Amino acid sequence: MISLTSYAFVSMMLFSIGVIGVIARRNIFVIYMSIEMMLNGINLFLVTFARYHFNMDPQVITVMVIAIAAAEAAIFLSVIILLYRSRKSLDTDIFTTLTQGEKS
Amino acid sequence: MTDLIFVALSFLAISGAIAMIVYANPMYSALGVLISMLSVAGMFALLNATFLFLVQIIVYAGAIMTLILFILMFLNIKEEDLPKEPKKYKLIALGAVIMLPLNILILKAVAKLPPKDFSITDSGFGDIKPIGMQLYTNWLLAFELISILLLVALIGSVVLAKKRKSKINNAGDNS
Repeated sequence: MISLTSYAFVSMMLFSIGVIGVIARRNIFVIYMSIEMMLNGINLFLVTFARYHFNMDPQVITVMVIAIAAAEAAIFLSVIILLYRSRKSLDTDIFTTLTQGEKS
Repeated sequence: MTDLIFVALSFLAISGAIAMIVYANPMYSALGVLISMLSVAGMFALLNATFLFLVQIIVYAGAIMTLILFILMFLNIKEEDLPKEPKKYKLIALGAVIMLPLNILILKAVAKLPPKDFSITDSGFGDIKPIGMQLYTNWLLAFELISILLLVALIGSVVLAKKRKSKINNAGDNS
């Protein structure tokens, strides 16, 4: 029997794996995909509660989250391309060289 | 039948997410994310959100993941360009320890709620029409703000792309 708890378990698993990816990985692409995974888990949670309360509002919020994720994808990927072109690396440590003063 | 589909979809979603954080090559990670997103789309269908099922497949699995895979192939990343991650599994274990209390808290809170029927209905719930009615009446301001945000993102990516071109030109002049 599918219950509310099983859907909540899956969405919390997705969210937690996203947080763990942001903490543990240093590849900037994987960090971006982890952020997407967190958004996905939250979307699943919202849609689960939309079905639970038989209310349309969470689904509207989910549509907006997906729109924001699309906008984020465009900006994030263009920044990744710029950083990779100038540094030839996908390491998140390159962000330390974005601070003023130091020049490598 | 629905239970079996749910179990299969949740297994695929979670294993795809785990594949994302374990693989060193970002290409395999992107494929794991793709599997996970398609499984979440299937769960949306089980939860009667037919319109979101379509949007998830078209926008997430179709557009965003294709964009990521395109950029990955476009950059042509070599094995030696990948960052070294010697402490990856230790940090994954640390992150799991950090996230465990939050998970337990939320699952305990959710388990206290009274159970309801989650079977699929054909009452028009989750169709495009009720979503559109909500979006253009109660959520009109948020909808307009989202459109401004998309415009800002569009202009921002154009500006960033332009900056890259001038930078390459400057580098060419200096050398």
